[in-house]
Amino acid sequence: MDACTVLLEPVKARPNLSLVPSPSALDDDSRDWLRGLRSEGLEREETVERLHLLLLRAARFEVARRRPTLPHLRGNELDDIAHEAAGDALMSVLVRLDDFRGESRFTTWVYKFALLEAAVKLRKRAWQGREVPLEPETWGLFESGGAGPAREAFQGELIDAVRDGIAQLTLHQRQVLVALALNGVPIDVLAERLESTRGALYKTLHDARRALRAYLASRGFEPEDWI
Amino acid sequence: MRRPDLKQSLGRLLGPLEPEVGCDECFALLDRYVELELAGRDADAELPGLRAHLEGCPACREEHESLRALVGGEQAL
Repeated sequence: MDACTVLLEPVKARPNLSLVPSPSALDDDSRDWLRGLRSEGLEREETVERLHLLLLRAARFEVARRRPTLPHLRGNELDDIAHEAAGDALMSVLVRLDDFRGESRFTTWVYKFALLEAAVKLRKRAWQGREVPLEPETWGLFESGGAGPAREAFQGELIDAVRDGIAQLTLHQRQVLVALALNGVPIDVLAERLESTRGALYKTLHDARRALRAYLASRGFEPEDWI
Repeated sequence: MRRPDLKQSLGRLLGPLEPEVGCDECFALLDRYVELELAGRDADAELPGLRAHLEGCPACREEHESLRALVGGEQAL
Protein backbone atom coordinates (compact mmCIF):
# COMPACT_ATOMS: atom_id res chain seq x y z
CA MET A 1 0.00 0.00 0.00
CA ASP A 2 1.58 3.25 -1.08
CA ALA A 3 1.18 6.75 0.30
CA CYS A 4 -1.58 7.57 -2.18
CA THR A 5 -3.72 4.73 -0.96
CA VAL A 6 -3.20 5.71 2.65
CA LEU A 7 -4.28 9.26 1.95
CA LEU A 8 -7.28 8.11 -0.03
CA GLU A 9 -8.52 6.18 2.98
CA PRO A 10 -10.63 8.18 5.46
CA VAL A 11 -8.22 10.17 7.58
CA LYS A 12 -8.46 9.03 11.17
CA ALA A 13 -4.96 9.88 12.26
CA ARG A 14 -5.42 13.64 12.36
CA PRO A 15 -6.45 14.19 15.94
CA ASN A 16 -7.60 17.75 15.45
CA LEU A 17 -10.27 16.76 12.94
CA SER A 18 -12.54 15.13 15.48
CA LEU A 19 -12.33 17.85 18.09
CA VAL A 20 -15.47 19.82 18.69
CA PRO A 21 -14.34 23.43 18.95
CA SER A 22 -14.69 25.09 22.27
CA PRO A 23 -16.86 28.22 22.12
CA SER A 24 -13.80 30.35 22.75
CA ALA A 25 -12.14 28.95 19.61
CA LEU A 26 -14.87 30.35 17.37
CA ASP A 27 -15.08 33.84 15.96
CA ASP A 28 -18.04 35.92 17.16
CA ASP A 29 -20.03 35.56 13.98
CA SER A 30 -19.67 31.77 13.88
CA ARG A 31 -20.64 31.57 17.55
CA ASP A 32 -23.78 33.60 16.85
CA TRP A 33 -24.76 31.32 13.99
CA LEU A 34 -24.36 28.19 16.10
CA ARG A 35 -26.22 29.67 19.04
CA GLY A 36 -29.12 30.69 16.81
CA LEU A 37 -29.30 27.33 15.06
CA ARG A 38 -29.16 25.46 18.35
CA SER A 39 -31.80 27.63 20.01
CA GLU A 40 -35.53 27.00 19.91
CA GLY A 41 -38.64 28.79 18.75
CA LEU A 42 -38.57 32.10 16.92
CA GLU A 43 -34.81 32.66 17.28
CA ARG A 44 -34.08 29.36 15.56
CA GLU A 45 -36.64 30.00 12.83
CA GLU A 46 -35.15 33.40 12.09
CA THR A 47 -31.61 32.02 12.06
CA VAL A 48 -32.61 29.19 9.72
CA GLU A 49 -34.22 31.74 7.40
CA ARG A 50 -31.05 33.88 7.43
CA LEU A 51 -29.01 30.77 6.70
CA HIS A 52 -31.27 29.86 3.81
CA LEU A 53 -30.80 33.30 2.29
CA LEU A 54 -27.03 32.99 2.70
CA LEU A 55 -27.05 29.61 0.97
CA LEU A 56 -29.26 30.95 -1.80
CA ARG A 57 -26.78 33.73 -2.43
CA ALA A 58 -23.95 31.19 -2.69
CA ALA A 59 -25.99 28.94 -4.98
CA ARG A 60 -26.81 31.90 -7.25
CA PHE A 61 -23.11 32.78 -7.29
CA GLU A 62 -22.32 29.30 -8.62
CA VAL A 63 -25.16 29.42 -11.13
CA ALA A 64 -23.89 32.75 -12.43
CA ARG A 65 -20.36 31.37 -12.82
CA ARG A 66 -21.63 28.41 -14.84
CA ARG A 67 -24.25 30.22 -16.85
CA PRO A 68 -22.09 30.46 -20.00
CA THR A 69 -21.92 26.66 -20.11
CA LEU A 70 -25.72 26.38 -20.06
CA PRO A 71 -26.91 28.72 -22.80
CA HIS A 72 -30.08 26.68 -23.38
CA LEU A 73 -31.40 27.34 -19.86
CA ARG A 74 -33.51 30.41 -19.19
CA GLY A 75 -32.99 32.69 -16.22
CA ASN A 76 -35.97 31.38 -14.28
CA GLU A 77 -34.82 27.79 -14.79
CA LEU A 78 -31.39 28.69 -13.46
CA ASP A 79 -32.90 30.43 -10.47
CA ASP A 80 -35.07 27.39 -9.78
CA ILE A 81 -31.88 25.33 -9.68
CA ALA A 82 -30.33 27.84 -7.28
CA HIS A 83 -33.37 27.62 -4.98
CA GLU A 84 -33.33 23.84 -5.10
CA ALA A 85 -29.59 23.78 -4.34
CA ALA A 86 -30.04 26.19 -1.43
CA GLY A 87 -32.82 24.06 0.02
CA ASP A 88 -30.77 20.87 -0.24
CA ALA A 89 -27.72 22.62 1.19
CA LEU A 90 -29.78 23.90 4.12
CA MET A 91 -30.84 20.34 4.96
CA SER A 92 -27.22 19.14 4.71
CA VAL A 93 -25.94 21.92 6.95
CA LEU A 94 -28.59 21.37 9.62
CA VAL A 95 -27.97 17.62 9.64
CA ARG A 96 -24.19 18.08 9.82
CA LEU A 97 -24.09 21.00 12.22
CA ASP A 98 -22.10 19.01 14.77
CA ASP A 99 -19.45 18.36 12.10
CA PHE A 100 -18.52 22.05 12.08
CA ARG A 101 -15.14 22.10 13.78
CA GLY A 102 -14.54 25.81 13.77
CA GLU A 103 -11.51 25.44 11.51
CA SER A 104 -12.94 28.10 9.24
CA ARG A 105 -15.61 30.73 9.63
CA PHE A 106 -19.11 29.26 9.75
CA THR A 107 -20.13 31.10 6.60
CA THR A 108 -17.20 29.64 4.64
CA TRP A 109 -18.13 26.20 5.91
CA VAL A 110 -21.77 26.48 4.81
CA TYR A 111 -20.95 28.07 1.45
CA LYS A 112 -19.26 24.91 0.27
CA PHE A 113 -22.50 22.96 0.72
CA ALA A 114 -24.43 25.39 -1.47
CA LEU A 115 -21.69 25.52 -4.10
CA LEU A 116 -21.52 21.72 -4.21
CA GLU A 117 -25.28 21.29 -4.52
CA ALA A 118 -25.52 23.90 -7.26
CA ALA A 119 -22.51 22.57 -9.16
CA VAL A 120 -23.75 18.98 -9.08
CA LYS A 121 -27.23 19.96 -10.25
CA LEU A 122 -25.84 22.08 -13.08
CA ARG A 123 -23.45 19.36 -14.24
CA LYS A 124 -26.28 16.86 -14.31
CA ARG A 125 -28.52 19.33 -16.12
CA ALA A 126 -25.86 19.96 -18.74
CA TRP A 127 -25.62 16.23 -19.43
CA GLN A 128 -29.35 15.53 -19.23
CA GLY A 129 -30.36 13.33 -22.14
CA ARG A 130 -26.79 12.86 -23.34
CA GLU A 131 -25.16 9.49 -23.68
CA VAL A 132 -22.28 8.93 -21.26
CA PRO A 133 -19.42 7.51 -23.33
CA LEU A 134 -17.54 4.76 -21.53
CA GLU A 135 -15.26 3.78 -24.42
CA PRO A 136 -12.49 5.87 -25.95
CA GLU A 137 -13.87 8.24 -28.53
CA THR A 138 -11.16 10.87 -28.58
CA TRP A 139 -7.90 9.07 -29.27
CA GLY A 140 -7.18 11.98 -31.58
CA LEU A 141 -6.22 13.93 -28.47
CA PHE A 142 -3.24 11.65 -28.17
CA GLU A 143 -1.98 11.81 -31.70
CA SER A 144 1.66 12.72 -31.82
CA GLY A 145 3.17 14.99 -34.37
CA GLY A 146 4.96 18.21 -35.16
CA ALA A 147 7.96 17.57 -32.93
CA GLY A 148 10.39 16.01 -35.39
CA PRO A 149 10.69 12.38 -36.51
CA ALA A 150 12.53 11.05 -33.44
CA ARG A 151 10.23 12.78 -30.97
CA GLU A 152 7.20 11.75 -32.99
CA ALA A 153 8.29 8.12 -32.95
CA PHE A 154 8.84 8.25 -29.19
CA GLN A 155 5.44 9.82 -28.61
CA GLY A 156 3.86 7.17 -30.81
CA GLU A 157 5.42 4.44 -28.66
CA LEU A 158 4.20 6.18 -25.52
CA ILE A 159 0.65 6.48 -26.86
CA ASP A 160 0.66 2.81 -27.89
CA ALA A 161 1.80 1.90 -24.38
CA VAL A 162 -0.98 4.02 -22.88
CA ARG A 163 -3.55 2.22 -25.04
CA ASP A 164 -2.12 -1.17 -24.08
CA GLY A 165 -2.11 -0.19 -20.41
CA ILE A 166 -5.72 0.94 -20.52
CA ALA A 167 -6.69 -2.35 -22.19
CA GLN A 168 -5.19 -4.23 -19.24
CA LEU A 169 -7.28 -2.47 -16.60
CA THR A 170 -10.40 -4.10 -15.18
CA LEU A 171 -13.58 -3.27 -17.09
CA HIS A 172 -14.81 -0.97 -14.31
CA GLN A 173 -11.45 0.82 -14.01
CA ARG A 174 -11.29 1.24 -17.77
CA GLN A 175 -14.81 2.63 -18.05
CA VAL A 176 -14.27 5.08 -15.18
CA LEU A 177 -10.87 6.22 -16.43
CA VAL A 178 -12.02 6.63 -20.01
CA ALA A 179 -15.26 8.42 -19.11
CA LEU A 180 -13.70 10.83 -16.61
CA ALA A 181 -10.18 11.44 -17.85
CA LEU A 182 -10.54 10.89 -21.59
CA ASN A 183 -14.10 11.75 -22.51
CA GLY A 184 -14.60 14.55 -19.98
CA VAL A 185 -17.74 13.17 -18.33
CA PRO A 186 -18.33 15.00 -15.01
CA ILE A 187 -17.82 12.67 -12.07
CA ASP A 188 -21.25 13.43 -10.60
CA VAL A 189 -22.92 12.54 -13.90
CA LEU A 190 -21.03 9.26 -14.08
CA ALA A 191 -21.83 8.52 -10.43
CA GLU A 192 -25.54 8.93 -11.15
CA ARG A 193 -25.42 6.71 -14.26
CA LEU A 194 -23.41 3.99 -12.50
CA GLU A 195 -25.38 4.35 -9.22
CA SER A 196 -22.16 5.11 -7.40
CA THR A 197 -20.70 8.08 -5.52
CA ARG A 198 -18.11 10.71 -6.35
CA GLY A 199 -15.79 9.36 -3.66
CA ALA A 200 -16.05 5.76 -4.82
CA LEU A 201 -15.51 6.68 -8.47
CA TYR A 202 -12.50 8.85 -7.67
CA LYS A 203 -10.96 5.96 -5.73
CA THR A 204 -11.44 3.77 -8.81
CA LEU A 205 -9.94 6.51 -11.00
CA HIS A 206 -6.99 6.81 -8.64
CA ASP A 207 -6.37 3.05 -8.71
CA ALA A 208 -6.69 2.97 -12.50
CA ARG A 209 -4.23 5.84 -12.91
CA ARG A 210 -1.77 4.16 -10.57
CA ALA A 211 -2.06 0.85 -12.47
CA LEU A 212 -1.58 2.65 -15.77
CA ARG A 213 1.49 4.54 -14.50
CA ALA A 214 2.93 1.25 -13.24
CA TYR A 215 2.33 -0.33 -16.64
CA LEU A 216 4.09 2.55 -18.38
CA ALA A 217 7.02 2.17 -15.98
CA SER A 218 7.22 -1.53 -16.85
CA ARG A 219 7.49 -0.49 -20.51
CA GLY A 220 10.37 1.81 -19.69
CA PHE A 221 8.52 5.14 -19.57
CA GLU A 222 9.19 7.60 -16.78
CA PRO A 223 6.95 10.36 -15.41
CA GLU A 224 9.23 12.87 -17.12
CA ASP A 225 7.97 11.48 -20.42
CA TRP A 226 4.46 12.79 -19.86
CA ILE A 227 4.86 15.62 -17.37
CA MET B 1 -10.12 23.64 -33.22
CA ARG B 2 -6.68 23.52 -31.64
CA ARG B 3 -5.79 20.05 -30.41
CA PRO B 4 -4.94 19.92 -26.69
CA ASP B 5 -1.30 19.49 -25.88
CA LEU B 6 -0.26 15.83 -25.69
CA LYS B 7 1.28 16.23 -22.25
CA GLN B 8 -1.84 18.01 -21.03
CA SER B 9 -3.98 15.11 -22.24
CA LEU B 10 -1.64 12.53 -20.71
CA GLY B 11 -1.49 14.49 -17.47
CA ARG B 12 -5.26 14.44 -17.21
CA LEU B 13 -5.28 10.72 -17.93
CA LEU B 14 -2.44 9.71 -15.61
CA GLY B 15 -3.25 12.07 -12.74
CA PRO B 16 -1.09 13.58 -10.03
CA LEU B 17 2.00 11.70 -8.91
CA GLU B 18 1.94 13.10 -5.39
CA PRO B 19 -0.09 11.49 -2.58
CA GLU B 20 -3.61 12.88 -2.58
CA VAL B 21 -6.72 12.85 -0.45
CA GLY B 22 -10.03 11.56 -1.79
CA CYS B 23 -13.11 13.60 -2.71
CA ASP B 24 -14.80 13.23 0.67
CA GLU B 25 -11.82 14.46 2.63
CA CYS B 26 -11.27 17.23 0.11
CA PHE B 27 -14.80 18.46 0.79
CA ALA B 28 -14.25 18.20 4.54
CA LEU B 29 -11.08 20.31 4.37
CA LEU B 30 -11.95 22.72 1.58
CA ASP B 31 -13.24 25.59 3.73
CA ARG B 32 -10.13 25.60 5.89
CA TYR B 33 -7.86 25.29 2.84
CA VAL B 34 -9.44 28.30 1.16
CA GLU B 35 -9.20 30.45 4.27
CA LEU B 36 -5.52 29.50 4.67
CA GLU B 37 -4.91 30.43 1.05
CA LEU B 38 -6.68 33.76 1.37
CA ALA B 39 -4.76 34.50 4.55
CA GLY B 40 -1.51 34.02 2.64
CA ARG B 41 -0.52 30.97 4.63
CA ASP B 42 1.02 27.77 3.26
CA ALA B 43 -2.19 25.81 2.81
CA ASP B 44 -0.40 22.95 1.03
CA ALA B 45 1.96 22.42 3.96
CA GLU B 46 -0.85 22.54 6.51
CA LEU B 47 -3.20 20.28 4.53
CA PRO B 48 -1.01 17.94 2.49
CA GLY B 49 -2.59 15.96 -0.28
CA LEU B 50 -5.32 18.44 -1.08
CA ARG B 51 -3.52 20.35 -3.81
CA ALA B 52 -2.71 17.09 -5.62
CA HIS B 53 -6.35 16.09 -5.42
CA LEU B 54 -7.47 19.40 -6.88
CA GLU B 55 -5.11 18.78 -9.79
CA GLY B 56 -6.54 15.31 -10.36
CA CYS B 57 -10.26 15.95 -9.79
CA PRO B 58 -11.94 18.54 -12.04
CA ALA B 59 -15.15 18.63 -10.00
CA CYS B 60 -13.42 19.35 -6.69
CA ARG B 61 -11.15 21.83 -8.47
CA GLU B 62 -14.15 23.75 -9.78
CA GLU B 63 -15.71 23.87 -6.35
CA HIS B 64 -12.44 25.07 -4.84
CA GLU B 65 -12.28 27.85 -7.42
CA SER B 66 -15.85 28.86 -6.67
CA LEU B 67 -15.40 28.88 -2.89
CA ARG B 68 -12.20 30.85 -3.18
CA ALA B 69 -13.85 33.36 -5.50
CA LEU B 70 -16.91 33.73 -3.29
CA VAL B 71 -15.05 34.12 0.00
CA GLY B 72 -12.26 36.14 -1.56
CA GLY B 73 -14.80 38.47 -3.11
CA GLU B 74 -16.47 39.04 0.24
CA GLN B 75 -13.16 39.78 1.91
CA ALA B 76 -12.34 42.30 -0.79
CA LEU B 77 -15.50 44.31 -0.03
